[in-house]
Amino acid sequence: SDKMSDKQSAQKSAKIASGAVVCVESEIRGDVTIGARTVVHPKARIIAEAGPIVIGEGNLIEEQALIINSYPENITPDSEGVEAKTMTIGINNVFEVGCMSQALKIGDNNVIESKADLGRNMILTSGCIIGACCQVNTCEVIPENTVIFGSGCQRRVQTERPQPQTLHPGPKNVPLWHSE
Amino acid sequence: MASLLQPDRVLYLVHGEKKIRSPLSTLYFCRYCSELRSLECVSHEVDSHYCPSCLENMPSAEAKLKKNRKRICNQLNENFRCANCFDCPCCMHTLSTRATNIPAPLPDDPSKTAMKKAYYLACGFCRWTSRDVGMADKSVASGGWQEPDNPHTQRINKLIEYYQQLAQREKLERDRKKLARRRPYMPLAFSEKYGLGTRLQRQRPGAPITSLAGLSLKEGEDQKEINIEPAQALDEVEPLPEDCYTRPINLPEVTSLRQRLLQPDFQPAGASQLHPKHKHLLIKRSLRCRKCEHNLSKPEFNPTSIKFKIQLVAVSYIPEVRIMSIPNLRFQKECQVLLTLTNPVENITHVTLVGCEEGDPEDINSTAKVMVPTKELVLAGKDAAAEYDELAEPQDFQDDPDVVAFRKSNKIGFFIKVVPQREEDGDVTVSFKIRHDFRNLAAPIRPSEEGDAPAEAIWLTHHVELSLGPIIA
Repeated sequence: SDKMSDKQSAQKSAKIASGAVVCVESEIRGDVTIGARTVVHPKARIIAEAGPIVIGEGNLIEEQALIINSYPENITPDSEGVEAKTMTIGINNVFEVGCMSQALKIGDNNVIESKADLGRNMILTSGCIIGACCQVNTCEVIPENTVIFGSGCQRRVQTERPQPQTLHPGPKNVPLWHSE
Repeated sequence: MASLLQPDRVLYLVHGEKKIRSPLSTLYFCRYCSELRSLECVSHEVDSHYCPSCLENMPSAEAKLKKNRKRICNQLNENFRCANCFDCPCCMHTLSTRATNIPAPLPDDPSKTAMKKAYYLACGFCRWTSRDVGMADKSVASGGWQEPDNPHTQRINKLIEYYQQLAQREKLERDRKKLARRRPYMPLAFSEKYGLGTRLQRQRPGAPITSLAGLSLKEGEDQKEINIEPAQALDEVEPLPEDCYTRPINLPEVTSLRQRLLQPDFQPAGASQLHPKHKHLLIKRSLRCRKCEHNLSKPEFNPTSIKFKIQLVAVSYIPEVRIMSIPNLRFQKECQVLLTLTNPVENITHVTLVGCEEGDPEDINSTAKVMVPTKELVLAGKDAAAEYDELAEPQDFQDDPDVVAFRKSNKIGFFIKVVPQREEDGDVTVSFKIRHDFRNLAAPIRPSEEGDAPAEAIWLTHHVELSLGPIIA
């Protein structure tokens, strides 16, 4: 599905590359770029409030996932000296159902499991797995192949990376984004 | 308010070795003694073992030992673990077997390769795999996984055998001295069998371990002498590595205490030596009244079944008091609390409530005065078909509206008056006695002389405590 659409102004537009599948029921607000072969399921939300979001290729963003580039708590949109930071997401990541990610930089081949919660100051490298319901809000770079799991957010390093997900062709019979 | 229905709001007092106050839903009722029993005044017995993940039944310990007397060492090593299921050594979740296709050379023609299935163990929770510790993939889906051998196993087994033999010998000598005077012609081996045969002796605390009970000496069997070498103390110890203090710690490689101690025979310090262990079995237990030795709870043998063969739980015999609504409680002001009383049996039950007297030794927790209804409350029998029967005649009990708020099949709502006596923080607690009639349907010990007389009613009294919540200033 070949769709390119520019809404309203150049700043607040969603650029969707060819080969991506974005459902109409998803909510995409602000300056969002979505790479090829990325699938965005219905009820997913990608909100670029405090800056643009650039999403790479081959990602899977499942239902009710929330990727949001929002202002940090103590800064209001009107305060001075606030730069718009770009949130970058690499390739082949999986954002499972109901997760929330505010991390400004996410690398490749990561999996953010259901209902996980990533803070803004985190940086995921590659091959990381953030387990279900794990809230991680530290200011650090997560080393490669780290698995965070359990109610205490225990960590270990995995030696095996699971096979990259064969991406779904997207949900069937759901209205897709149309160019205007 | 759903919190009013929490089970710990209403406690019943159990008279046992210890006075225990506990919600009715956790108590049992011995209908032979006609008394409430809690988990602490019953004896717990193991019925059977089963694996929680594959739900396979294992015969009980005694049955195992009876069959395999000679293989003592293997029994102790098997240690009640499942043969098929494994636990993740990292997070203790159950491991699942995954398959991959790997190219492998054909046996007939090595130059060609075909896809062969290889199996490995993986944890879905922490993503541990058997490849992390270097375990090779197996070609069979189950049964190929072995736990690593412990180098000390032989020495430990020999020590165990030696000490078992020593214990047997000492016991025989003791019995020999006892029986020497009484029955000199009685075979010596019998003393052990009589010693641990009856249940009463088994229940003695400090009694010898029953797992060794079946190991009595057969008549005329030669006792093999087992000798052990004493442990030798060494002067020289392996020195620490030179970079012990300077080498930076690789944190992901260090095992946590929990991971280490769950494998007490190896206690590996490094995560690369954490091998999966077989899953521990769970038990099905039965409960027995200590006074009359009747079973109070006996589950079914099948692990997939949650039913019971015998289930003498208190909620099926004793009327249950529950809190329905509480007004704002005020210090030294009379408040009216609405309670419900439910009748679990099929016949009509008469209930009388009595307040606790001054100086009642059971009344230790109440912080308020309570006025309970003086008249007898009548509860209709529990009728399972009543909710479907639209033509049922309305019950005519002529309730006093000041006492009984409502009536619905086998349940009534009634009022009590509470006057909180203490202004401090904490819950207002009231207690009273509930006296009801109980028809014992257990089989009579002696046949009734008058033919089929209906079961006699006895009156039971229970001490009930209610926790009504804090005082609202």
